[in-house]
Amino acid sequence: MKASRKDPFILTAVAAALLLAFGPAMAQDDVAQLTKPESTVNVGVGYVDKDNQRFGQYNGLTDKGAYGIIDFSLNKRDDSTGTWFTLQGRNLGFKDPELRLEQKRQGDWGYYIDYTRIPRYEPYTVNTGLQGLGTTSQTVVPITPGAGADYQLNTKRDRWTLGLEKAYRAWNVQVRYRNEEKDGSQLFSQGRFGNYPRFLAKPIDYTMQQIDVMGDYGMDRLQLRVGYYGSIFDNHNKMLMASPDTSPNYFGETSLPPNNQSHQFYVTGGYNFTADTRGDFKLSYGRATQNDSWAIAPPAGVTATSLDGRVDTTLMQAGVSGRATPKLTWRADLRYENRDDKTPQVVNAGLESYQPRSIERTTGKVVGHYSLPNGFRLTGDITYDQKKREIPEATVVDFRETVNEATYRVELRRAVSPTVTGAVSVAHSKRDGSDWLDNRLDDPTFNIIAPIYTADRDRNTVRLVVNWMPSDPMSVNFRADQSRDDYTGRNNETNGFDVGPREGKASNYSVDASYVFSESVTGTAWLSHGDTRMSEATCQERLGVAPNNGGTCQPGDNAWVGDVKNVADNFGLGLRAKATSRIDVGADVTYAKVRDEYGLSALNATAAGNLASQGPLPDITTKVTTLKLYGKYALDRMSGVRVDWIYDQYQTDDWTWSRWIYADGTTVLQDPDQKVNFVGVTYYYKFH
Amino acid sequence: MKDSRYLLAAALQGLVLAFGIALGAQAADAGSKDLVLRGDAVCTTCHDAELTPHVLEIGKTTMGTTADPRTPSCVSCHGESLKHREGDGMPDRTFGKNSQTPIEARNEACLTCHKGGERIHWTRSTHQNNQVACTSCHQVHTQHDKVRDRKTQTEVCFTCHKTQRAQMRRQSRHPIAEGKVVCSDCHNPHGTSGPNLLRRDSVNDTCYTCHMEKRGPFLHSHEPVQEDCTICHNPHGSSNPTLLKVRLPFLCQTCHEPSRHPGTMPDPTAVSGALPFNTGGPNFSTNKTVIMGRGCVQCHSNVHGSNTPNNDAAAFRH
Repeated sequence: MKASRKDPFILTAVAAALLLAFGPAMAQDDVAQLTKPESTVNVGVGYVDKDNQRFGQYNGLTDKGAYGIIDFSLNKRDDSTGTWFTLQGRNLGFKDPELRLEQKRQGDWGYYIDYTRIPRYEPYTVNTGLQGLGTTSQTVVPITPGAGADYQLNTKRDRWTLGLEKAYRAWNVQVRYRNEEKDGSQLFSQGRFGNYPRFLAKPIDYTMQQIDVMGDYGMDRLQLRVGYYGSIFDNHNKMLMASPDTSPNYFGETSLPPNNQSHQFYVTGGYNFTADTRGDFKLSYGRATQNDSWAIAPPAGVTATSLDGRVDTTLMQAGVSGRATPKLTWRADLRYENRDDKTPQVVNAGLESYQPRSIERTTGKVVGHYSLPNGFRLTGDITYDQKKREIPEATVVDFRETVNEATYRVELRRAVSPTVTGAVSVAHSKRDGSDWLDNRLDDPTFNIIAPIYTADRDRNTVRLVVNWMPSDPMSVNFRADQSRDDYTGRNNETNGFDVGPREGKASNYSVDASYVFSESVTGTAWLSHGDTRMSEATCQERLGVAPNNGGTCQPGDNAWVGDVKNVADNFGLGLRAKATSRIDVGADVTYAKVRDEYGLSALNATAAGNLASQGPLPDITTKVTTLKLYGKYALDRMSGVRVDWIYDQYQTDDWTWSRWIYADGTTVLQDPDQKVNFVGVTYYYKFH
Repeated sequence: MKDSRYLLAAALQGLVLAFGIALGAQAADAGSKDLVLRGDAVCTTCHDAELTPHVLEIGKTTMGTTADPRTPSCVSCHGESLKHREGDGMPDRTFGKNSQTPIEARNEACLTCHKGGERIHWTRSTHQNNQVACTSCHQVHTQHDKVRDRKTQTEVCFTCHKTQRAQMRRQSRHPIAEGKVVCSDCHNPHGTSGPNLLRRDSVNDTCYTCHMEKRGPFLHSHEPVQEDCTICHNPHGSSNPTLLKVRLPFLCQTCHEPSRHPGTMPDPTAVSGALPFNTGGPNFSTNKTVIMGRGCVQCHSNVHGSNTPNNDAAAFRH
């Protein structure tokens, strides 16, 4: 700095001369660097210091040891034809590799092939004597708890996708085909009233195929898409056979999901009537079928060889949006969906018949936005949603044929401001419906619960969003969401209490901030607090008392309230810095603490006595702390070395598994305090 | 003396700058100095590799593929900006965080070309209704647009969707952090004809793209399963196993009558009744272990539906 103040003329003259002499050449190099697609290759090695259950749940890094790090992104463009060639690979040394090859002549044709593997490891260690795990024939061998063999059950999805694209004049046609194989084992079990469940492992061997064909037509005013979407599910395992078969306590066979498929044709589009008025629509017709043959012989007299299931779905949607005045914009939308269950209601000798379930849903919405002075905007909308359900009878839970819900919302938003933008919105919705139909299982006894998804409900929500930029390097965002649901039951209150869902509440508050300390140092921070609650009441009959003891909970029944609460606190910190011209460093810390509470309270003296003897249900608290650090050292302009360190800690006091033992002695446990370190060293190279 | 040297230096700098601008202007006039896009010389004369290098990085993107006649020039998005070219004020349309350009005008710049296809229902989108600018999510002047990379997409979405950011950090979750399931697998942020910007026409059809074994229909069907997966599950994350909104048995009790055992009060002390092995044992409900392990679905293991032609399977036990 001192030198420049002493000799400004000399330095400026030299700089000017250099600029004039070499500027154009340097600029050309710079321009090439800046405008040619860049490719990168990363090669290195990583090390996991401990076997774990959670850290590697979805990336497969569950075992202690070394892993290869191989990532690349090769991007080439032929500028004369506009043809791109892309080859990308990620996680190629891990258990969740991804590979994609793509070539396209922009605006003309293109294709890609994509492969990805998605592993999932159950985050528990199963200790069991079960034999035949992973197959469809399993033998339960009782053990003393802890004396069996250890397994970490897992599944993996191998997904291949092929995409083709061709443009012709105003048309563009895309075809996408995906084949996915999913295999492995999942937690499963089997039990019956009067017996503790015994452990089994569900064998997974699925093939899932999807095909999308889309034809897009695009003109200045009209855009259309016609398409077909099909999906086909094949399960190569029809039945899980478990021995010993001690029916009716433990039965030998359990069915696995049957083959099914779905096909849909649709047309969707939009049209600009004027510069400010646009309409859009969708029409579709789909058919889902399931006619897989029974996996076991049906009862004598049943002639059907399969369910012959069929559900046809029709959708019609249309909307228009426009500008009534320079300050007033609006939109109206209507949507009708008919899920028509055409599965025959087979009634056969003694076999429970299928209950076709058709649902018609109609949704209408009107929205208006009005611009106010000083960048404010007022929004109001009304939504009406109606569901009509049709089934032959209510079987196990109560039912109503029609449910209506109307929602009213008002929002005030400040859209453009030098320092403060934000919005506040308030919404109220009310749901009710037709008369209740009693379920036949309990009729004429218990018909007192209004199922939570059809019960009368008042919902109120409030949302506040504020974006504040007090100075150029600093920005702050605050967001608050609150909602409250009040449920109304079936008003069968006869003994001082009403059962079923009562109330739900949810709130979430978050603050985010970012700060640019200098050209080379930036920081971010965020904090959030969430609280979700649900309250419900039910009762438990006294053993030995006939269930038809009056049609509702009786004074002597165990009547109680469950207050379920979930409280979550999260924060994150991030820092990025360019320490020198060659060294970049970064750090991220995230922390999550989630507490689940299961409050029990008594509604009568019987429940009070039971609660006093058993005590409360303990809370479950889980904490996840993750620290990620990296440093990059540039060897030259296009290559360098990167070092990563990840520390991950998972802590839980979940007692619902640790206190549980299956009837055969199987235990399912997780390490309550898991600490894992991952260190990776990578050499990177960039080129054009 | 010192002052005169500074003055001279300043004058020389001015000369160099003026000479450069003059050269640039001449080049622009000649139409032969485009650096990246067709006709960009009018802008890149000043916005060159020295002054604003990031501007030129649009050349690395599909927008910089000049062999494609549909690709834009600077003025296609930023406007002719005549005053700005004369050194007066900002371009006609700007897209940065301090932009004073109305959001409709910013989005219009994109939607002029990017209409149809995935954006047919843009006017129906919540993002459009909430005045979200395209450039709130997309970065145009860079090869790596974060929101289009599965590994980094959520960083963009969680800028606004804070509740989901917290939920995906819970114990039960989709592999979102690993980039194996991302927001755009289920949602089309540009608008759809379905609810909540879902790519498929309903919640269930969206879930079936990966979980089609749940589609059925099954001989013994479970009503809420057929209707809407989100009656029981929260796809963004939960502290309960299998993304359940509420731990079992509390969830099941929100619909099922209390008769027989669904009204059982969970008992944390009823934990050791599993022995002796495989010989029946006490009544499950009276021991109140229903909150342990997998809860109700320990016995009702085919809770999504059973196709076994057997009446016992009506309770999803096999």
